Order: sequence, then C-alpha cells, then structure tokens
Amino acid sequence: MNSWIHPGLVIGMGGLLIPFIPWNRLKQAYFLMLPLCGLAIMVMTSVGVFGDIPPQFSALHKWNIPFLQYTLDIGRISKLSVLFAYVYIIAAFCMNLYALKAKNHWEHVVAMIYVGSALGAIFAGDLLTLFFNIEIMSWAPFFLLLFRGTKKSMKAAIRYVLWHHVSGLFILAGILFHVHQTGAIEFTRMPWGWGVKYLGSYLMLLGFVINSATVPFHSWLSDAYSEASPSGSVYMTAFTTKTAVFCMIIAFAGVELLIWMGVVSAMYAVFLAVLENDGRRLLSYHIISQVGYMVAGVGIGTEMAINGAAAHAFCHIIYKALLYMGAGCVLVVAGTTKFHQLGGLYKYMPISFWMIMIGAFSISGFPLFSGFVSKTMTIEASELANLLIVYLMLEVASIGTFLHTGLKLPWNIWLQGRKEPPANIHYRLKDSFINSPVNMLIAMAILSCLCLFIGIFPDVLYAMLPYPVEFVPYTITRVFTATQLFAFSFLGFWLFRKKLVGHPSYVLDTDWPVRILGGRLLNFCKGPLLSFGAALDQSIMGFSQYFIKRIKTPHIAQMLTPPAIGYGVLIILFLFSVFLIFKI
Amino acid sequence: MDWLRKFPEKILWRIYYICLAVIVFLDFYWLYTHVLHYHFSFQYIPQFFALLGFGGCISLIIIAKAMGVFIVVNEDYFQKKAEEKKGDPIE
Repeated sequence: MNSWIHPGLVIGMGGLLIPFIPWNRLKQAYFLMLPLCGLAIMVMTSVGVFGDIPPQFSALHKWNIPFLQYTLDIGRISKLSVLFAYVYIIAAFCMNLYALKAKNHWEHVVAMIYVGSALGAIFAGDLLTLFFNIEIMSWAPFFLLLFRGTKKSMKAAIRYVLWHHVSGLFILAGILFHVHQTGAIEFTRMPWGWGVKYLGSYLMLLGFVINSATVPFHSWLSDAYSEASPSGSVYMTAFTTKTAVFCMIIAFAGVELLIWMGVVSAMYAVFLAVLENDGRRLLSYHIISQVGYMVAGVGIGTEMAINGAAAHAFCHIIYKALLYMGAGCVLVVAGTTKFHQLGGLYKYMPISFWMIMIGAFSISGFPLFSGFVSKTMTIEASELANLLIVYLMLEVASIGTFLHTGLKLPWNIWLQGRKEPPANIHYRLKDSFINSPVNMLIAMAILSCLCLFIGIFPDVLYAMLPYPVEFVPYTITRVFTATQLFAFSFLGFWLFRKKLVGHPSYVLDTDWPVRILGGRLLNFCKGPLLSFGAALDQSIMGFSQYFIKRIKTPHIAQMLTPPAIGYGVLIILFLFSVFLIFKI
Repeated sequence: MDWLRKFPEKILWRIYYICLAVIVFLDFYWLYTHVLHYHFSFQYIPQFFALLGFGGCISLIIIAKAMGVFIVVNEDYFQKKAEEKKGDPIE
C-alpha cells in the first residue's frame, strides 16, 4: 500500500512558493495547478490507491506521528472528510481562477494557506492537530481583509481576529479539559450531558458555535465578509464556517440544543436580510441562515439529517461562492454593492445576472438546482422526527432565502425597473454585454454548471455521503410543493417590491453590544479605571514613604540594635519549632 | 448579441402567469386524486403551500420592517459614535 500525501500540505506549503516565481504567466499557472494537485490526490484516495475508505465511524489512518506521550493522527481519511475535501478543493480551484488577476500575490499565498489549513482540519484525527489548523485558519482571513487596504477593512480585520481568538481559546480550553479528564486526544464524539464534568464539551461546542456563526455569535461574519476584497471575500465564504460544521458533525451530532440554535439562526438571519442595503452583507446573512440548516441537521442527528447537513455543506460552498463571485463582479465593475446606488445593470452585465440567478435558485432549493437535493433532506429529516415547529421554521426560512437572494438581490442590482444604471456608475461601464473580467466569468460558469449538475444528477453527491442514502428528492410531492411555495412567494415580493428598495442605512445586530458596550468598557478602563489606579498608587506610595520616614527617625533606629534583632529571630524560631513539633 | 442585453420581461411574465394557473389547478386535482403524500395532516389543506409562500413572504417583510424601526440606523453609526467619545478604540 502506498503512503498517502496530505493535500492540505501540498496546497498550503505550495502556496508559500508563489512569490518566488518570476514570470507572471507561470505564477498564474502554478496558482491554478495547486488545487488540481490536491484534486489528483483526492481522486487517487477515493479510488483506493492508498487503501479502501471504510464506512462511516471508521477511517483510514495515515501519518501517525508521536508527539509527547500522544500520537498525532494527521491523516484520518473517512467518507465525511473525503466529501469535504472534494468540495474544498473544487471550490478552491474556481476561486483561484476568479482571483487570478489580483494584484497582490501575497493574497494568493494567504488564500492557499487558508485552504491548506482547512484541509488539515478536516483530515485531523486528534484534537491537537485540529486546534493547530483551526488557529491558522483564523489568521488567514485577517490578512485577506488587511490586503484590501481600506481603513474600514483593517478595523474589520482586527474585530475578526478578536472574535476568532475568543473562539480559539474556548476550543483550546475545552480540549485541555477533555484531555485532562479522559487522557485521550482522539477527535471523536464528545461526551454530552448536564453537569460540570462535561465542561470540556461545552467549551469546545461554544468555540465551534462561534466559528460556525450561529446566532447569537454571528455578527463577525457579516461584518468581516462584506469588507474584504472581491476575491478575498470569496475565499472566506467557504472554509471557516463549514469546517466548524464538520467538527460539529464529528463531535456533537444529536445534541438537541443545536436544533434550536440552528433553526433560530436560519430564521433570524432571514429577517435581518430584509433590511440590508449592502449586497455582500445580504449574502453574508444567508450564509448564517444556511449554516443554520446544517447546524439544525447536526442537532437532529439521525442518519438522514447528518447526510443532509453534509450534503448541504457541499452544495452551499459551491453556490455561495458563485453568489459572492457575482457580487464581487459588481464590486469590481461598478465599485459598490450598495443597493441604493445600483440598478439597471442588466444591459451591461447580463451573463453575471443569469449565473447569479442559477446560484439564487440553488440556494433557495428550486427543483433541478443543487440546493433542492440537499436542503429537502434536512427538512424531511425534521418531518420524520416529528419536529413540527422546526419544520415550519425551516420552510419559512427557505421562502425568505428565495425572497432575498433570488429576488431582492438581483432585482436591486440588475433591474429595479431601470433600463440604464445611475449616472455615478454609468461612466465606469463599457457599452458591451461583457463588463466583468473574463476569468471571473469562467470561474462563475464552472460553479453554475456544478450547481446544475448536482441538481440534475444528485446520485453522484449521494454516493459520497457518509451514510447510505435512501432519500429520493424528485418525487411529485416535493417538486410540486417547492414550485408552489416559490411561485407564490414571488407574488408577495412583487407586491412589496418598493418596500425592498435599498436606502443608505446600517442594520444593527448583535455587534451593537460588542462594539458599543465593549467600546464603553475599554473607555472606562482607559479613563476612570486608570485614574482610580493612579490615585490608589499615589496614596499607597504616600503611606509607605511616611512609614519609611518614621523608621528612619533616630528614636526607632536606636532601638533596633543587634541584640534586639537577635531576640526577635529567636522568638520566631521558637514559634516555628512549636509548630513543627506539635504539627498544629 | 443584442438580444442578450434586453431583459426578456414579457416572456417571463407570460411563463409566470401560466405556471401560477397550472399550480393552482394541479393542487386541487392532485389532492383530489391522492397523488400528493405529506407527513403532517395540515399539509393536506388545499393550497396550503401557496398560502404559506405568499403569507410567509409578506409577514417576513412586515415583521422585519417593524424590527427595522429599532435597528436600522445611519450608515456611519459606529464612526459617529466613535467621534462622540473621542478615541473610542472600537469604531
């Protein structure tokens, strides 16, 4: 049996060489080759060159390295990790194509390290390797944000990295508790229940919940993802949240709390998206909402629900990258994604409009598009578990998803009933139907084809899922129900379309307590607390000086003769020996 | 390629109207002939999913707009707040 090569290491380490390649063309070719190398390794892995992949709950173990008294399990290849690795690598290839012409090649380096560490995390079989990779992953988007270079993005970068430090520390604390209690570092199902002895699991779950942007710990996502550069934000959509979902599937499947957190996320984000004026922030809210579906699936915990969550993560990465790419094209061409400044772009960017619509139909779960074959699985799982409220909330959330991503976003950016865009962006456009860079359009086209392919041939995806699939998505009832739901929600949108026009505004979220109250706390520390400290300092100094002065007076100094000190020491020694002898 | 630059509004509207009529008819027909199989009993109400789609969409917009009264602020809300309190570290 051949020894395995870690695709994460190939992509991450390979990325470090990018700045040293002299010719631009060669550099671009190399940048595209990296994920293809990863893909080749994955294809070889799944055809069994390195050994057959066993069914779920067991895995191939490669690259076991002794570390302290433990053994690190760097390459744990299970069906679930192979599924995630495939989508990470395919998405990375399209993203690389999209980001091909980014001016700063350090952005490419960071992106490749990001992808590499994400792959490292999903192949990690032990908690230490997992933590190490998650920490690298939390730093990569920080640099992607910094490279945009605006003042706003830099501040968003700092907020982002603070959030992820907090989540990283929770995960680390959880791991340490767990390792201390059980003595094992294997990354597997964590013990769950009520009580102090499960503290390690609670902390770890909290870390994953923050990383997966589940309500109420989600505000970092819409804050950061909407500030990155067009290509940078595309990378950010895929890896951090989905890796957290992967970790939850492994460690916390069937935890009931997660059902409710997931469902609340799915609904809450949809409400905020109604008010949103920025295209990329709107899409960020839909990441939160869609990840809510996955988290709810993990919480339900049946085989079908886990399959649904994994399949949804797979489809989600593809269509969300596509949607972000579309929004990125608008940002590149028109210079903004704010709805109140846009409208009427259809004449100049029709291709990106139709590709965005493919992404939008996929995210909404239209029949024949990828979201349909994955989302219905989670919803069906909630039905079979007789969770009535969960079922209804997930249905309404999918209406909301269609309302915003399928209708509000394209209507506000490309149409708004206008034939021409507003004058302030009109001068930036060529009089042609292709305004976006061609490499971006090709990347979007590949992802659009994938969305359609998975939607039309779901068995290809189902064969890769961790558990055997008995679910058939295309029944008359399901197809008809979805069509009915969306046809009539369009009617609702059309009646209220004037209410959904953008206005220059900002929607407060759970970032308000963090930013305003946090700011006030820091202000309090800088102002009153520091001056209180200074005053305390001064009074203690004053007192000690007074004391020193008293000691130095001639009267006390005369008393402190050697015999007096000797007697004092003798008394103390006597007391100690009494303590020692009688063991008081 | 000029056809591509014109949004095919009329065709889409026509398709939409036909779809709507077909959907309304098929729901009654398929419920009557027991083609549709649901899990919960309330899903068998005629036009349930049509009402859910339409009602859900409108109530989403209305509830969100009501929430908006409290949470929608000016674009430069955080910058303004930071200027009010000089040197606020988190802008």
